[in-house]
Amino acid sequence: MKRPVRLEPGQKLVLTANRLLDGRTVWWREDGAWDLRIGYAVLLDADGAEAELSRAVEEAQREGVVGVYDTAVLPVVPPEPVTVREKIRAHGPTVHPEFAVETAQ
Amino acid sequence: MSVPVGHYQYDRIDRDFLQARIAEFEGQVKRRLDGTLSEDEFKPLRLMNGLYLQLHAYMLRVAIPYGILDSRQVRKLGKIARRYDRDYGHFTTRQNIQFNWIRLEDTPDILRELAEVDMHAIQTSGNCIRNVTADEYAGAAADELVDPRVHAEILRQWSTLHPEFTFLPRKFKIAISGSPNDRVAARFHDIGILARPGEDGAPLFRIFVGGGLGRTPVIGEELFDSVREEHLLATLEAILRVYNAHGRRDNIYKARIKILVQAIGVEAYREAVEAELAQMDLERYRLTPEAVAAIRSRFAVPLLEAPADADAVLTEQRRADPLFDRWVRSNTHVHRDPGHIIATISLKPAGGIPGDATSAQIGRLADLADAYSFGEIRITHLQNVVLGHVRKDRLRELWLGLSEVGLAEANIGLIGDIVACPGLDYCALANARSIPIAQKLGARFADTALQAEIGALRINISGCINACGHHHAGHIGLLGVDKRGEEFFQLTVGGQAENGAAIGTILGAALPEDETVDAIARLVDCYLGRRESGETFLETLTRLGHEPFREAAYEAV
Ligand code: HEM
Ligand code: SF4
Repeated sequence: MKRPVRLEPGQKLVLTANRLLDGRTVWWREDGAWDLRIGYAVLLDADGAEAELSRAVEEAQREGVVGVYDTAVLPVVPPEPVTVREKIRAHGPTVHPEFAVETAQ
Repeated sequence: MSVPVGHYQYDRIDRDFLQARIAEFEGQVKRRLDGTLSEDEFKPLRLMNGLYLQLHAYMLRVAIPYGILDSRQVRKLGKIARRYDRDYGHFTTRQNIQFNWIRLEDTPDILRELAEVDMHAIQTSGNCIRNVTADEYAGAAADELVDPRVHAEILRQWSTLHPEFTFLPRKFKIAISGSPNDRVAARFHDIGILARPGEDGAPLFRIFVGGGLGRTPVIGEELFDSVREEHLLATLEAILRVYNAHGRRDNIYKARIKILVQAIGVEAYREAVEAELAQMDLERYRLTPEAVAAIRSRFAVPLLEAPADADAVLTEQRRADPLFDRWVRSNTHVHRDPGHIIATISLKPAGGIPGDATSAQIGRLADLADAYSFGEIRITHLQNVVLGHVRKDRLRELWLGLSEVGLAEANIGLIGDIVACPGLDYCALANARSIPIAQKLGARFADTALQAEIGALRINISGCINACGHHHAGHIGLLGVDKRGEEFFQLTVGGQAENGAAIGTILGAALPEDETVDAIARLVDCYLGRRESGETFLETLTRLGHEPFREAAYEAV
């Protein structure tokens, strides 16, 4: 099991996973669906995240995702992940600007 | 169908097996998609078929046995890149190719396409014997003593689906060379094999065990000096049995054979192997001259005919065209036939991504291989491509053809010939990105005249301690580390993969990306300023010690 994410003041949590069919990075929306765009991710507090995470893990197979976990973001628009790794997952590989992922509409 | 030059010709048994294996995997994918198989159950099954889940997509690693392809296979790889990926592929230091944007549901179709040209992704992952690598100049180099491909093929057949060795404590990598100049990093493999002819003409094999990179870099130790051909398989079988029985399985970081060899010592390991050999049925494993000859006959020998003036034509063309001359200097190697030459095609354009090739480039490589090198292509362990048998009087035509698709970079063995793993741009295990810093270094030293002036200098970059970019073996090595969420790079110097295998030593504290690039530029300046005539970077480093280089690297920090 992954270590719990330590939140700095002002940070929020989002849930993320990869899509089973094509492996693409997805983010958990308010309505429980998974979205390619981090701009649609629901922002959670440390308290609320645990229940949402268990729900998302439970529904992973039905929703067609694998490897659900939570990660810290700055609550700007669109939310900006704290770690380089999650930034790259949200925006696409930095060495191929043409593959940049849309983060909002 | 004619027998391909350079690699082994599959038969019905090979092809039927691949089809059965694909059907099996297709069933597993179906069951995964409908939920019958959980991810935990499915993961080892997909890994056995070379399919990883990375940051943005699945990654498929396709085996290129001993790094050799024919043009129809190369065209197929280009087609897969175009049709199922994003129009490019990545050649790796283990002579494989990786596709970075694969969809799970497409995988059975891709494997079917690969099987059409006798290729697959089996044993490119998991704790089994991985793709056997071999000298990229095999069967061509003037300095070669024994052509290692025949034995590499024998090892491929022996290790593929070997029932006893599909669940080893950890992955297992074998490399084989038949040249006195080790071009396979034999001492950095779980088993490294150097072949040479014995007095009776039959080959003898010098065997190293327990080399490896990763978290605990170790230089392999000599287990046997002269294994006879007939006992090659028995000996390897015994080495693996000892490892399989005694290698640690409780801790993934202590599971490679190198840890076992370090723990008990090479003498004890040798005794254990000899004890195993003593109770084995050696007859069963005997490699007879007939068996070797049968395998050899499945390789076509290129008909090396060149006009008598081929060499003179090349000399004249080099004289007339300094740019071409520079490329010939860095990117060719002496062929055993005086009318031919070995050409290495750099996949390291200045500022580009080391090892990546677009599908258009891959297609063109296939055409050029057909036109200039008997339709045969090799992938090197330094992420480049080799055409092994080019007629000297046609080399310039080849070079012009390469120029048209951006593949004529004159930097093999020079500072621009950077080895880098995918790093944090793709890899789920990474701490830092490897590609952007490789691109910055490539751009900093883009001038090929400057590169030629600097001379032999290899930079190797890994995005984490797993060391896929061989950073320990780089003359200058960079290891990406994570310092409180920031990407930093630890600098090592003095590593070497070949005959004088050495592990680089850490120069000082890790630096952020841009400062690392500047520090390397100062290291190079220090070398240029202090080298004696004809000295390479490594030689100057050996003569002066690390201190002046450490001072130079860190002077402005
Ligand atoms: C992107 C997916 C990849 C993953 C997940 C991956 C994973 C790993 C891991 C975990 C190790 C350490 C194994 C150990 O020491 O026990 C390793 C080693 C290695 N990998 Fe990769 N790797 C990847 C890509 C590559 C690429 C692209 C290359 C070539 C450029 C490569 C070549 C190697 C080599 C040469 C070693 C170290 C040599 C040794 O076995 O000691 N890998 N890899
Ligand atoms: S060295 Fe690390 S970052 Fe680079 S490919 Fe290997 S596992 Fe990934």
